[in-house]
Amino acid sequence: MADLIIETRELHKRFGKFEAVSGLSLAVPAGSIYGFVGPNGAGKTTTMRMLTTLTRPTSGEAWVAGHSVTREPRAVRRAIGYMPDEFGVYDDMRVWEYLDFFAACYDIPETNRKRLIDDLLELVDLTHRRDDMVDKLSRGMKQRLSLARTLAHDPAVLILDEPASGLDPRARVEIRELLVELARMGKTIFFSSHILADVSEICTHIGIIEAGKMVAQGSMEEMRSQLMPHREILVTVRDDETAVRVQALVAGMPGVVQIARLEPKAGRSRVRIDYTGDDDGVAAINQKLASEQIAVLGFTEETKDLEAMFMRATKGIVT
Amino acid sequence: MTAPELTRTEADLAAGEPISPREARLARAAAVLRWGAVANAALAGLALLLALAAALKLIPDLFPALRAALLAGVPTADDAAAAAGVLLIQINVSLLLVLMVGVQARELWALGGVWALALANGLALALLGFTPALAAIIPAVWTGITVSGDVRAFRANPVMLKELRGRMRGVRAFFVLSVYLGLMSGFMALLYLTYTPTTLTTGSAAAGEVGRVLFMGVVGAELLLIVFIAPAFTAGAITSEREHLTYDLLRTTLLSTPSFVIGKLESALSYILLLLLAAIPLQSIAFLFGGVSEYELVLAFVILAVTAIALGTVGLYFSAATPRTLTASVRSYSAVLVGAFIAPLTLTLALNAVRSAVGRTSPVIEAALVYAGDLLTSLNPVTAALSTQQLLIERQAIGFWTYTLASDGSAIPRASPWIAFAVIYLVMSTVLVVLAVRRMRQLEIEA
Repeated sequence: MADLIIETRELHKRFGKFEAVSGLSLAVPAGSIYGFVGPNGAGKTTTMRMLTTLTRPTSGEAWVAGHSVTREPRAVRRAIGYMPDEFGVYDDMRVWEYLDFFAACYDIPETNRKRLIDDLLELVDLTHRRDDMVDKLSRGMKQRLSLARTLAHDPAVLILDEPASGLDPRARVEIRELLVELARMGKTIFFSSHILADVSEICTHIGIIEAGKMVAQGSMEEMRSQLMPHREILVTVRDDETAVRVQALVAGMPGVVQIARLEPKAGRSRVRIDYTGDDDGVAAINQKLASEQIAVLGFTEETKDLEAMFMRATKGIVT
Repeated sequence: MTAPELTRTEADLAAGEPISPREARLARAAAVLRWGAVANAALAGLALLLALAAALKLIPDLFPALRAALLAGVPTADDAAAAAGVLLIQINVSLLLVLMVGVQARELWALGGVWALALANGLALALLGFTPALAAIIPAVWTGITVSGDVRAFRANPVMLKELRGRMRGVRAFFVLSVYLGLMSGFMALLYLTYTPTTLTTGSAAAGEVGRVLFMGVVGAELLLIVFIAPAFTAGAITSEREHLTYDLLRTTLLSTPSFVIGKLESALSYILLLLLAAIPLQSIAFLFGGVSEYELVLAFVILAVTAIALGTVGLYFSAATPRTLTASVRSYSAVLVGAFIAPLTLTLALNAVRSAVGRTSPVIEAALVYAGDLLTSLNPVTAALSTQQLLIERQAIGFWTYTLASDGSAIPRASPWIAFAVIYLVMSTVLVVLAVRRMRQLEIEA
């Protein structure tokens, strides 16, 4: 438990009769990139607001970097950088002033601020916009500026609410790369998203929330094996004849659950192998095909991505 | 898993929980100042009760004793000395509270302020024999020693810096100031042109009259301006952050609530102060005509500044307590209208009715009616300014003066209305700032 940087136990938040979060237990390991996924209205933002001390839990307890969000809110604030869903705009402010203001709010002495601002702008690639007005920036740039703001006091955890929402594809990639870079710098990144591609690409851990409850959480590998017991291997060959041979060869191998020939695509035949086992087994299948002189055009593991996990995890739960 | 229920006070404490030795030290210093304020308030209450008992002659020879305890070294009447003593203690209460918030907000002026308060009280003790000064000197010196070791804890308020940067940027600030001065000058010129033809015929003796009219015109216009813009400046200060969704960002930083509130107030007031200072040369034109003394100029500035501070804090309080700028503005203007205008005026009318109904009466009731009238005059900036000026012209009195009762010819001390006005408005402002901080913390807890 010691390496958990965010932990909640039985967290509840009621607004009147509506229970936005009911009994959520989160466990975010230090240094991870944790994707917090769920449909709209599942309680993601409410959870994040509780973790950032903006909303008090109705019951239950949450700790961030070892501090209780209800009893030591200021210690929690020192440990986190929070980026809300909407960009808080101060019109009438220059880019460097924006960062200077927040750095001052984090009590960073004036003598250190200029250097810090330059470093932050460089990190998020906004050095050339240093003296521009904040409201003249594009949405992607604002988002990067926001991210720079959350880093002003060198927090251990970044809590980001939908960091990629509303961005064009290029800006999204840039944000994604930034997050990976920050994780490399040792920060824990806890972010929510409903764009599953973003999550699957960079996350080390995910948690799926629905109707205020945690449906599943863990590392990507755990989640895969938990939710997707079968790995799928797709073998592409030249013709049906070869496909039949592949089917026959693989059928008896350990861990193979099912083999199916798929509809040919672009004139090539395909075989799908449902497989439970480790990477050695996958390699063994590959070697077996090679040793039998079968001309394999493609041998790929279909990473049944998050979308499928997500559908499986959330299916059937009535919101 | 049981839910950890925190009481509101615990949560309130947690909201200001110190997370470094520096913050712990500042919190201790602020607590000392708060207890100092409480002690002084108790002292003021006690002194006031004793003064009342003395005035009603419930206890014989109480005034000389009170004077010896409160202001031994002042060569005025015993009762005036007692009244002045009570006022001074109240000023100390208010200053201690201001410094408390200032220390919490880590304002540089608070650091100088605690030493200045200690020094001023020391001087009052030495020169005027103001014994209650001790109740202010002890907490002030204590705080001063606690915080002076770490001067770097005090800084320019980030919120004020941010606001002023925005407000003074580009040509807009320059333009607003120019338009304001242009309008004021135009107004003065108009006043001069309409007033001179009637007086020119009567010769140079009337020039003083012209000067006074011009002066009153400018001060009146400024007062009107302040009444309208001071609440507007601050009523949106906190609500606009909520509306622009920037408030949440600030709350997740280490910026303390007092820093935020004080920063907003400072930025609004400094701009209004700039407008007031910019108009002083205009007011001084009146000197060319004579008829206006420098005392009037200073007192007018004090009254204008105090009005700006008080109305600014009213706006700030409602901005802290309400979610929307519109609601906050409506409530601020209503509060100002009722508190400073409608209530004092209707009560004055009622008082006049009582006065004429009672007719000739005992000296105690007459004195009570006189004081009640003074109090009501002091509640409104316009009446306070006008009667201060009248007193200055007719009796050359800027501070305390002696009034002879019609009923038995005995003399009672009265204070020029600006004194009570300044004390009441400043105490109210202090209380409102403290309440605004409180209210914001409560709203955070309820979120």
